[in-house]
Amino acid sequence: MAHRKKNRNVGIIGIGQTKHSSHREDVNQPELIYEAVSLALKDANLTMNDIDCVVHGNMELFEMVHQPDLWQVLGTGAYGKDCIRITTGGTVGATISCASDNLVASGMYDIVMAIGFEKLQEGHTTGGITNMADPLWFRKIQSGALTGSSAYDVEREFGLERANRASLTYRIIMDKHAGLNPNAHRSFGLEFSQIDDLIRTSPKLVGELKLIEMCSQSDGACCVIYACEKKAKELTKTPVWIRDHISAHKEECFPIFGYDRKYPVLKTHKFAAEQLFKRNNIKNPLDYFDVFEMYDPATWWAIDWLRDFFALKGDEHLKLIEDKEIMIGGKMPINPSGGVIGSNPIGATALLRVAEAALQVRGNAGPHQIPTPVNHALASGFGGTMWTVMTMLEKELNW
Amino acid sequence: MAEYWGVKVEDIFNSMQERFRPEGAKDVDSLFGYDIKDEGKWKLTVKDNKMTIEKTDDLTGCIATMKADGETFVGVNTGNVDATNAFMGGRVIVDGDMGAFGKTGKLFRKFVIAQKEMTTKDYLADMFATIVPRFKANEAEEGLDVSFAYDLGGPDGGKWTVFIKDKKCTITTTIEGKPTVTLEFNDARDYVDFILGKIDAQSLMASGKAGAKGDLNMMATKWPILFEKYKDPMAGNVPQQELIVLKKIISLNEKFSTGPVMGKFLKGLKEQKIYANKCPQCGRMQLPPREVCADCRVRVDEFLEVGPKGEVRYMDIIYYAMPDPLTGQVRETPYGGINILFDGCKGNETLPHFIRKDQIEKIQMGWNEKKGTRVRPVWEENRIGDIWDIKYFEIDE
Repeated sequence: MAHRKKNRNVGIIGIGQTKHSSHREDVNQPELIYEAVSLALKDANLTMNDIDCVVHGNMELFEMVHQPDLWQVLGTGAYGKDCIRITTGGTVGATISCASDNLVASGMYDIVMAIGFEKLQEGHTTGGITNMADPLWFRKIQSGALTGSSAYDVEREFGLERANRASLTYRIIMDKHAGLNPNAHRSFGLEFSQIDDLIRTSPKLVGELKLIEMCSQSDGACCVIYACEKKAKELTKTPVWIRDHISAHKEECFPIFGYDRKYPVLKTHKFAAEQLFKRNNIKNPLDYFDVFEMYDPATWWAIDWLRDFFALKGDEHLKLIEDKEIMIGGKMPINPSGGVIGSNPIGATALLRVAEAALQVRGNAGPHQIPTPVNHALASGFGGTMWTVMTMLEKELNW
Repeated sequence: MAEYWGVKVEDIFNSMQERFRPEGAKDVDSLFGYDIKDEGKWKLTVKDNKMTIEKTDDLTGCIATMKADGETFVGVNTGNVDATNAFMGGRVIVDGDMGAFGKTGKLFRKFVIAQKEMTTKDYLADMFATIVPRFKANEAEEGLDVSFAYDLGGPDGGKWTVFIKDKKCTITTTIEGKPTVTLEFNDARDYVDFILGKIDAQSLMASGKAGAKGDLNMMATKWPILFEKYKDPMAGNVPQQELIVLKKIISLNEKFSTGPVMGKFLKGLKEQKIYANKCPQCGRMQLPPREVCADCRVRVDEFLEVGPKGEVRYMDIIYYAMPDPLTGQVRETPYGGINILFDGCKGNETLPHFIRKDQIEKIQMGWNEKKGTRVRPVWEENRIGDIWDIKYFEIDE
């Protein structure tokens, strides 16, 4: 993969997000976006006049609004400015972050604002996702975003009991993290002692995928402001530097469930992580990073993906979960924010991963701040049938 | 029986008949159970657009039973508890057919907590009962020793004295000692209106309906500092502004050109044949056929007929009552989505489709070392060149 060093460094200087919720009937779409935009501007101590370009993104047609950036200009503040709309499905929040980084790094703009948003209660999520499938044949067969395939994989490799317990342990850790994050949509106050009950009582959606293990459908928005090195240093004492990012896409690949171990299937998380760490000369990502904000749409995917992202072997990924090393205070805290299972306003979700990772680096995430210093943070985005975006954040400009 | 938000569990059940919506009961012919902790069990029968509810210990024959405690049940029905949160957090459990239970949501109009009118007596009781809790002790200066008396006439009237001493507030239902000030209202109703801000003190005094003995100035200046303003408990029932939510249904015609490659696959289905195409470079079979191999970036022209029989390599059993966005109908659950490895294909070259509903339990998934269940397509009689020209797959015995 051809890749060049950045033209100039880029730092995150402002972060804003709404409280994520399924009850935002009190505001319309522009008003919801305005909440995140005004918080990010306040955080950066800037006004809209300081913003050179706005990058806007959400899920295409999830709210059944074509060119939502037109209506939403009332909330984005992009009127009379350069505005670029990007929509790449579940990864969109991460993609607008990459785009903003590239726009600043190129020298085209000094300060760029990325806005990801979704108001899932206003449209039809399963309808939107199904419309992603090839209309010539697969749309008629698809079942939205739900599949039990990851559960099947983990269960077949490690046995049903261990798999289920790892999945629920992960779920309860996320619930505890979400409980610390005042912006999280759902936190039920679950305890580890409830694992057996939840395995038994939580309704099954598809295969072993249970309701408790799936992400929520949220309304929410996130806004992040990017600046060139010179401006970032002028404007804030705590810029968070974007070291690198990578996107990996695979062709639409629904028919990948052949279960032939000798037959190569490109797993984009694994592919993207390998490339990214190799070109940044990171030998052991588990040691290098202090926190990982992972796009985890369901527990089964999450536990399976840990192995792909960190190039773990055997059952190392399950042990990380079983030993609670992924909790705040553990070896590799995953999603101190509560993650996607805690809040999922889809178009904002992947940007929230970057935003939350940056807050951890800055050290002012709030009650869910990791107590030990965070110098290196990782964020991932996921979408489509197998698309990956990864972003590396640094506290110091020293790599 | 305990009350929650002023509502008893049985209020919800007793009002079901009145809230029943026959239009929501079309195609429902089932028994539903409710098992409310420490309160009892109820059985709901829905048949022929009619319903009955009975309290009974016998929940046999119920297609699904909801279990919850009284507070959660009342909370969910009155909108005081988030239903999804309660369900996900395990405070509401549904035993049996989840999909069927979901239909009960359309059976009833929402339970509305009766708008209780507050009488003068209710207001007086509430106003004086909240005086001590509304007292702000840190605002009372050292050594402040005052008492405010109320002498309210009329059928609902009474006497009260509020004492403030040593930074403490106490209240009696008599007039004792020598109050700093005594407020006199001919009719207690005017006092209530005065506190609610519907009438002002000056006009009451001017019209002779109210008067004061003692140091009124003391009370007028101290009271607003020492006490939080009285909040009308009924005020919360009136939203400041009605927030309108617009509901829309969009139904649009669509048409898609298939092109020659997918067109060949679809035309094949019309003739009961399944075509894949083979990459000239890596040799993988693409199913359905694609214009190019995305891995090798070369055009793929060689078409080969595969199947129509094959083995199941993967099956998703779908329990969630998924709305089909193409039709708006909810697919009947559970159903099985399978990935079939056709004879003539290898590795992961599978095609997804559905399995015959009654055969889900019998399906074995295969992998390298283990063969999956053999299946064959069941074709539609009138085929139009569509993936649904295959109705579903069934076990090939």
